[in-house]
Amino acid sequence: MPSWIGSITLAAVTVIAAAGAQAFDQSNYPDWSGQWKRPAGVGNQWDTSKPPRRGQQAPLTPEYQAIYEANLKDQAAGGQGTDPTYTCIPDGMPRAMNVIFPMEIIIQPNITYVTIEYLSMLRRIYTDGRNWPKDAEPSFMGYSIGKWIDEDGRGRYNVLEVETRNLKGPRAFDASGIPLHTDNQTVVKERIYLDKSDPNILHDEVTTIDNALTRPWTVTKNYHRVRNPVWVEAICAEGNQHVRIGKENYMLSADGYLMPAKKDQPPPDLRYFKQTGK
Amino acid sequence: MFDRRLIGVITLSAALCLSTDCAPAFDDAKYPNWKGQWTRIIVPGVGGQPSFDPTKPWGPGQQAPLTAEYQKVLEDSMADQAKGGLGNYPTARCLPGGMPRMMTFGEHEYVITPETTYILIGGEDHFRRIFTDGREWPTDVEPTYAGYSIGRWIDEDGDGRFEVLEVETRGPFKGPRAYDATGLPLHFDNQSIFKERFHLDKADPNILHDEITVIDHALTRPWTADKRYRRNPNPRPNWPESYCTENNAQIVIGKENYFLSADGFLMPAKKDQPPPDLRYFKQTQR
Repeated sequence: MPSWIGSITLAAVTVIAAAGAQAFDQSNYPDWSGQWKRPAGVGNQWDTSKPPRRGQQAPLTPEYQAIYEANLKDQAAGGQGTDPTYTCIPDGMPRAMNVIFPMEIIIQPNITYVTIEYLSMLRRIYTDGRNWPKDAEPSFMGYSIGKWIDEDGRGRYNVLEVETRNLKGPRAFDASGIPLHTDNQTVVKERIYLDKSDPNILHDEVTTIDNALTRPWTVTKNYHRVRNPVWVEAICAEGNQHVRIGKENYMLSADGYLMPAKKDQPPPDLRYFKQTGK
Repeated sequence: MFDRRLIGVITLSAALCLSTDCAPAFDDAKYPNWKGQWTRIIVPGVGGQPSFDPTKPWGPGQQAPLTAEYQKVLEDSMADQAKGGLGNYPTARCLPGGMPRMMTFGEHEYVITPETTYILIGGEDHFRRIFTDGREWPTDVEPTYAGYSIGRWIDEDGDGRFEVLEVETRGPFKGPRAYDATGLPLHFDNQSIFKERFHLDKADPNILHDEITVIDHALTRPWTADKRYRRNPNPRPNWPESYCTENNAQIVIGKENYFLSADGFLMPAKKDQPPPDLRYFKQTQR
């Protein structure tokens, strides 16, 4: 037997032994380690290939287009419209994938975790072949089931297909308040994969199926990798100047007083106080 | 000759790995099985809300070795809370509990990778990253509530498997932070150091220990507690979302905290509390 065959066999054994009997063979999965950020200069609109607000051309039903228009009017007047996150509730899906603050993806054999620094957003994408649960509570991030695909037949997974259901609201696509339907029956389908020519770019093709839309709305999100990153906490509640009282939102002034968010906004009703306000 | 062959084999092994772009395989078997959902063990008979030492009641019942100055901070905090104030408990404003409070809350999960162990907590405290890649302490990090954690895996009984994760967590921290909802304080200088030993219970692999020692200038000596968590037997547990901001009725305006009534109006949190100053509104209040 030629000695090189022995060497190859030994080499193969060495590789397998290194993996161990219960080893999680990372080499079956793509390398998505590191920190993923929005590309520099990209705004926080849902479809980053189009201008924000009406420029998004969201395929809204007439009813939800009217809601969106009223929202834009309210925001122009200083309100928050249909963007609910000013109270520091999570973006939820699909908006979380705007990745306003950096994201990390942790791949394990049965689950892929997506952690997003802002608003404590954590996604668990189950890849263990489970079915949809019957008893899960609706959540902002939803329930995600994924499937790894070896699309080019090279013996390695390179695409993660994900479907997310069981969402709760209120949610909007972005800060301009593009609404999702209040029935919260949204289904989000994603294809996540590395760019073929640049492994430091990650794509997420996101298709949103929602009753506020006339058709499924697909956009592609792109993220750039940072190796050896610095992670910074992003705590919305820490510096939040918005105050919601009843259905109204107000602002906190720099000197610590309640102030109107809109022109000529009346002050809050103080019926529960004995004394009159100053 | 032997050396040359060995070098050749190693080179070939490396080449095989490189050709498939494989990261070194993660030998799961070397690490303890901490998979699943863990929930703090409630010690029967211990009253009050969860605190640092699970074997003792919250607040003064913890018998924390506080300096006299910080004993007064606790007393003042509780006196303020008795009147309806928040005291020294910033978590009521939906800020993260941070270390060590974040290890007191509800369901959490451990995700072990060779370089990092993640403790996924959820809610305002989100998660911890414990770096186990041999790095040094950074010199330029921003202050955080969770701190910066470096860990080391230990094969304590020499069986070729790690069973203990030793962790040290340093600041700069953000604050104020408290051990529990009474406002049991950590020092306002935010210079705490935490040393932890995570390991499974020797008699019951479904119990995890976090022996945690706090070194803090508000304490007269290091303070240690053994926090224990029980594994949910359901391998596919529910992970309920819990966001303080979703239903928080506390409203802080300036240095005062108020309450939101169930019918959506601002109301006093303290007896005879004056209403907020509305100097920036044109109209008079209703």
